[in-house]
Amino acid sequence: MTTLAAIGAHFSRWREWEPNPIVLKELRQSVRSSTVAGMLILFLVVLFFTNLAYLIGQSVNINQVSELGAQIFPALITILSFACLVFIPLFIGVRLGMERQESNLDLLYVTTLSPGRIIRGKMYCGWYLAVLFFSACLPFMAFTSLLRGIDLPSIFFVMFCLFLVVCAAIQAAIFIGCIPVSRLLKGLLCLAGFGCLVGLSVGLASGITEMSRDGIGSLLAEPEFLGGFATFLGVGLGAALLLYFLSVGMIAPESANRALPIRVYMTVLWALTGVVAFAWAFHVAALSPTMSPIMEAAPLFLWSSISYAVLGAVLVVVVSNRDQLSPRVRRAIPANPIGRRLAFFFYNGAAGGLLWVAGLALLTFASVQICWAVWPARHGAVRIGQPVTEWRQFQEVTAAAMFYGFDYALTALFLHRQFLSRRTPKLAGVLTLLIPGALATVPPFVLFLINRLTWASMDHMQLGNVFNLFTVAEAQQWPHLIFAAGWLLVALALNARWFWRQLQHFRRLEPAAPPDNGTASTHAHA
Amino acid sequence: MKIQVHGLRKEFGKTVAVDNISFGFDSGQVFGFVGPNGAGKTTTMRIMATLEEPTDGDVFLDGCSIREDPELARRLIGYVPDTLPAHSDITVHEYLDFFARAYGLRGVPRTRAVEAIEEFTNVTGIRDKHIKALSKGMKQRVTLGRALVYDPQVLILDEPAAGLDPRARVELRELLMLLAERKKAILISSHILTELTEICNGVVIIERGKILETGTIDEVLKKSAPRRAVAVRLLDPLQHPLLLKELLQTPHVENARETGAEVQFEMEGDAEAACGVLAHLIGCGFKVLEFRQMKANLEDIFMNVTKGGVQ
Repeated sequence: MTTLAAIGAHFSRWREWEPNPIVLKELRQSVRSSTVAGMLILFLVVLFFTNLAYLIGQSVNINQVSELGAQIFPALITILSFACLVFIPLFIGVRLGMERQESNLDLLYVTTLSPGRIIRGKMYCGWYLAVLFFSACLPFMAFTSLLRGIDLPSIFFVMFCLFLVVCAAIQAAIFIGCIPVSRLLKGLLCLAGFGCLVGLSVGLASGITEMSRDGIGSLLAEPEFLGGFATFLGVGLGAALLLYFLSVGMIAPESANRALPIRVYMTVLWALTGVVAFAWAFHVAALSPTMSPIMEAAPLFLWSSISYAVLGAVLVVVVSNRDQLSPRVRRAIPANPIGRRLAFFFYNGAAGGLLWVAGLALLTFASVQICWAVWPARHGAVRIGQPVTEWRQFQEVTAAAMFYGFDYALTALFLHRQFLSRRTPKLAGVLTLLIPGALATVPPFVLFLINRLTWASMDHMQLGNVFNLFTVAEAQQWPHLIFAAGWLLVALALNARWFWRQLQHFRRLEPAAPPDNGTASTHAHA
Repeated sequence: MKIQVHGLRKEFGKTVAVDNISFGFDSGQVFGFVGPNGAGKTTTMRIMATLEEPTDGDVFLDGCSIREDPELARRLIGYVPDTLPAHSDITVHEYLDFFARAYGLRGVPRTRAVEAIEEFTNVTGIRDKHIKALSKGMKQRVTLGRALVYDPQVLILDEPAAGLDPRARVELRELLMLLAERKKAILISSHILTELTEICNGVVIIERGKILETGTIDEVLKKSAPRRAVAVRLLDPLQHPLLLKELLQTPHVENARETGAEVQFEMEGDAEAACGVLAHLIGCGFKVLEFRQMKANLEDIFMNVTKGGVQ
């Protein structure tokens, strides 16, 4: 009720609303920036000359093209996507990255603006810039409809889709800009991001060209296309929101409970996508009763595969968490035992994070297992044999991969605690990546040194190497599972005391009074 | 407002930049924070401004911990870093307006606050100029304006006088004294120690991350220079050899020497003992034109206390 009242009071004061200060500042700077102005002029010039080239080509062509609009449109979309997918995210990301330099952090990050407001401000500014470029392009786009071959609804639909992709790319650039790494690493990330954006814009442009060749209007009438479009929207929105929460977490003060919103959001996203995957699989099964169970359950397999991949990546971040919670976080721990135990999964800390990942991985595994029980039964005993093998194989491989993930993470945590305890906990995350890297590269290197490296040798079983799991024959996957499970038991035993200590220390801290000392007249305490 | 730095420690890998330091000051006080390069001054100030997270310890602003409630601490602290604003494509007025908005000032109060601060820092004439086109002194004023625009109770100034010309320094000093009168608690680091002596009530001397001396200026001066240095000028300078002879025979007086037109000596004891020496000299028939106690300045103390070590 209090929240509702607060929301009501907020909306009742709509006359006092003011724009996000970050948007104002960024836009003021952007419109004066020679980079934006120069890029916009260059963009308009390229659009103009592209149109001109097509028109001149048409006038000198003996075989006149009756649908010139359909030919010009993909070219214009390519230019637009390149400008908006490469320039705007780079512009926003690089600026943010420079502001977030650890040695010279911009003072706007120590104002009373909330991290969420800062990230939203950057995001809106990127959107406004995208709108600026789209608006500049719109007359040229509308012109293509006059040249026939493409209608206005198709143009608007494609531009809408492109705008959504640009928004997601801007969010991704903001996320990269927020990552707290050195300038060199940030530069490398920027280069990688640039490569991805160029690839995305090229892929998108070629996709749109293909679509416009087939006729966008006819595609819009197909339920399958709309289903795919809805999936694209959902996945894009989910990913963009995840990047938003991650960005907010990264610029929040170190003492804040950074993990809570991210873990809650990821849990909700995992559950929602799981429900959608189940519903989709059931829907597919209802539509085509003759389809094999393995095909029917494809959305479920896709969901679980993506879940495992994301959880594997999350493990690296989770082990980089500090063991000691800040007093601010400890004061927010619920006093009641149930709330406290639940909070352990979602609050900052490596131990809680590992349990949270393990919980989600276990639930993903269980849901696929339940499907295994439900699906063949629907089709009767006759068809059970064939799909069961594939299903079991999928479960074995994913289970072994997740076990390996935990093996690396727990081993890295143990090594960090034993040998690098005075160094930053981020090193535990680095070790989590280095261990599988070493296990994957050292054996081939040794084989190379003794001149025994062949393609066949790469396919031999290499226990401990998670990548090997996906290349070995089916019969060799079972030993991988056993080995990974054994390693996990050892790693758990090595970390058991630490886990227990973390659980014991996860208790609410009551507010403490500040020390009554240290005024001007006091002497050095050092 | 009471500011308490309590057991502050900051490690960067193996380097201990700030090693368990504690001090405090109150509203209306200007506290100097001095030390050689690499002593840990900027790190301490950045921690106080919530730009860095301490490895251990805390800073309390009227009991509010900056670690537990950095958002509230940010409302109370105005920080002037040792780097000048590098924002491009933004005017002075827009820059100040942005920070006023960022600290939650709205509508007419914001406009008034920005105008008042432009007037206070004397940047009204350049409010529409781009920041990147300003001189160093003007940029420093804008930075100070930015830190003051939301009327914080505590000001943390990291080398605000660095690179300023003599006139700008005098103006900055006047501004700081005015702010102290307005009951702001000010912590200022500077290498120009003579200026600090003039405006500071207290001082913290830090080296290699550890506090060497802290307290009010008088306390530190007294602690670092326990003996009084006194200068005497006679009406007839030809009597100086006689005066020297007399002083050398006076108990508790040491190091008597003729320096230019005056005789200087060091003595043990309080102000009453100094009066006793003066009475004794007059009793001996010396026509004393001037008898003054020479104050040790912060620079002398700094040189005595620190060793110039860096980390």
